[in-house]
Amino acid sequence: MMKKAVELVLLLLLLFFTPHIMGKRYSPPGKPTLTRCRSPEKETFTCWWEPGSDGGLPTTHALYYRKESSERVYECPDYHTAGENSCFFNKNDTSIWVNYNITVVATNTLGSAFSDPVDVDVVYIVKPNPPEKQTVTIMEDKGWPFLRVSWEPPQKADTRSGWITLIYELRVKLEEENEWEMHLAGHQKTFNIFSLRSGGKYLVEVRCKPDHGFWSEWSSTSYIKVPDYFHREKSVWILLTIFSAFIFLILTWLLHMNSRSLKNCILPPVPGPKIKGFDNQLLKNGKSDEIFSALMVSNFPPTTSSNYEDLLVEYLEVYVPVEQELMQEESKDLHGGCLKCERSTSDSDSGRGSCDSHTLLMDKCGETKEEGRHTDRASSRMLTEAQRHQKGWEKDTLTYAHGDMVSPDMSNGRVKTWPSVFSPLPQYSSNPLDKQSSLEMAKQHCLSTSSCLTQPGHSTKEALGPSNWDFCLGNKQPHLLHPQTQVGRQLQAHSEVNISNIGRKQAPAGLQSPALRSTEYVEVQRVNEEDLVLLQPVVSGCGRIEGYPQMPKGKDYSKVKGVDSDNMLLLQREVMEEDWCPGVDQEINGGTGNCYTSSTVNTTQKPTACIHTAMPVQGDMALAMNGYVDTATMCTLPTC
Amino acid sequence: MTYSLLVACGLVYMELSMRVVTAPICAYGQAGCHAPSLADLFERVIQQSSRMHGISSDLHSELEQYFFPRKNVLGKHKCHTYGILTPDDKENAQRLGREQLTDVILSLLAAWSDPLSQLHRSMSQDQNQNFNDHSYSKALEISDMVHELREGVAIMAEKMKLLGVLGNTMGYISPESLVPSSAFTFYKQGELNSVDHHDLLYCFRRDSNKVKNYLQILKCTILPGLDC
Repeated sequence: MMKKAVELVLLLLLLFFTPHIMGKRYSPPGKPTLTRCRSPEKETFTCWWEPGSDGGLPTTHALYYRKESSERVYECPDYHTAGENSCFFNKNDTSIWVNYNITVVATNTLGSAFSDPVDVDVVYIVKPNPPEKQTVTIMEDKGWPFLRVSWEPPQKADTRSGWITLIYELRVKLEEENEWEMHLAGHQKTFNIFSLRSGGKYLVEVRCKPDHGFWSEWSSTSYIKVPDYFHREKSVWILLTIFSAFIFLILTWLLHMNSRSLKNCILPPVPGPKIKGFDNQLLKNGKSDEIFSALMVSNFPPTTSSNYEDLLVEYLEVYVPVEQELMQEESKDLHGGCLKCERSTSDSDSGRGSCDSHTLLMDKCGETKEEGRHTDRASSRMLTEAQRHQKGWEKDTLTYAHGDMVSPDMSNGRVKTWPSVFSPLPQYSSNPLDKQSSLEMAKQHCLSTSSCLTQPGHSTKEALGPSNWDFCLGNKQPHLLHPQTQVGRQLQAHSEVNISNIGRKQAPAGLQSPALRSTEYVEVQRVNEEDLVLLQPVVSGCGRIEGYPQMPKGKDYSKVKGVDSDNMLLLQREVMEEDWCPGVDQEINGGTGNCYTSSTVNTTQKPTACIHTAMPVQGDMALAMNGYVDTATMCTLPTC
Repeated sequence: MTYSLLVACGLVYMELSMRVVTAPICAYGQAGCHAPSLADLFERVIQQSSRMHGISSDLHSELEQYFFPRKNVLGKHKCHTYGILTPDDKENAQRLGREQLTDVILSLLAAWSDPLSQLHRSMSQDQNQNFNDHSYSKALEISDMVHELREGVAIMAEKMKLLGVLGNTMGYISPESLVPSSAFTFYKQGELNSVDHHDLLYCFRRDSNKVKNYLQILKCTILPGLDC
């Protein structure tokens, strides 16, 4: 009994469990699916499938394919090469531009399952292998590095025959970055990458794709490290900066050193007027007197002259012929007019005065002197206080010029305003006053003023001597005829002259020369163009001085030979006329006393002295002369 | 007035001095035309064919998305150019030889001139309005390109013959003998419908790919070099 129960229980248990054991259901396999088909080189291809459930039973799979436009079904030739659940089609089995209709069948004991068919054209499923033999190198382009990546197409892909044409693409990134930088390389197999970071580590990968197909996988990564070039670049900049700063400093220093000369070059100083002897400091100090005193030439104006005494002209003895006396009287009538400095009739004899030979004549010819003494006296009287400068001669001439007429004026006259006489004359050249000959001034006086002395008749008479005051004043020649008159008139105008009629014959007050011991008077005829003073010796009896407007028909002419170093006028006698008065010693060298003979007559007056040529040649040269020589003419007149 | 004259003179001078040399391209090197090199010709032709293939692919994919994908392409139909024997793998293509390969190319191109224009015409007349403007322009474009490419390849073949690269053994086989004259007669009697369009484009897409590939093979055979 017990045994039966146990067997029953065991049987029940067996019965109970067996169905569990036997519970696995077998079913036909599930439907497989073709996952993909790929061709690496367009010559073979592989298809993979995914099997379905196997239904618990061993399941086999089979791939069948059908080619386009053919009903024939082929089975996969190779299930193993490509791995599990794959089918590999080799070259023989592969046709391009043919549509494959592929189906996978899973089979087990219970049944089979068919996958969905897939149409495959090998042309469109090409996925090449990645490029091979990839190399990355660092190269330099003008000091700047760049990466050169080169590769080879995958070995299987036949690009050489043109069967496949591939295009490539690469990607680069720095090691620490996350994003790749893509570059499409086209058909070429090399590529350059620029703009690298100095000292960076780069990763490079390449892939390829046929014209119409799938991209390959990325190739294996290439690592490259860029060398450091940043320092070199920076050092260049630093060097450049230092160098330019250095240059700049040098330029600044040079500019500073040459600032003045540069300033003169760029902004040249405007030349200002310079007055000789003008002291700016004095002007600034406000002492005008000193300033102008500095401007004053020592001898000009002849207000204060140390050589005053020297320059005083001694009285002259003037030989005035009778006619002249007559004329003088006539002229007295005109005296007033002349005094007024009116325009007087031209005097052909103008040029009288000291220029006049008569005035100059210190007569050896006694009677002439006698006659002239009157005038001399008068004139000397007149001229005692005359301030004689170099212009004194002019005064004399002037006075003499007025001798006939104006001499009365001059006789007492103190010509005080000498400077004014001379100053307004515009014809004065730029010669320094020192050098300017009194004669010149006289000339100019004569020129500037119209002749006051109207002694027409007189002029012709040459009583006053030839007014051959032929100053070689060039174009002023015509006026030379009346220098005396002009001068005289000026004198009249300017001088406060107590004019007394001292008679016709008057000589201008002798200009006292410092060492004047003239014994003879020499009449200065004229000065010709060669700077020769033509003198006519005054010889008693030879005082035939003919007034002539032009050529002196004087008897004797003294030619100024020259002036020697001692400021002596060397005269040269020249025989011109038959009336050569002998005894005229033209040597003028301080002369002896013919002059004085006449001078003694005028006691009250200064001794008539030879008319000292008031114009020293240089400085206050006192020409002691026997005759009057107009130093003015002696001086080489610039215009002559 | 003088200024305008000066300007005119300047312009005339510029015109004369900067004359751009333009000359028609001819393969035969006649006088007055600028004959390109064989490499240039190959490059142009290959580019053209590649472009043509791309446009046809686009057009085909456009059509395909509008229609339910047909699993069984063409069904039992074939492309009308099935008569033209074309090498279907590399060995066969290389074995074929240059002259025959050129013949095949020319035949293919000749076979597609009319069908494509018909396709274009048919597409524009389609009542379904399944095509957008781009499709029409693409269809027109590929029909034009086929003509141009055919002429280009012909010129290139002539040049190759001149150069001695290509033998004269090739006999130009008239495509008409191989190919049905009209797509109408082949594909369908009467008008082409959209299904026909799709089939037609499928066939042309493949054939353009063939042309392109054959040209590339030809190029690398005759001018091995950089790109090969």
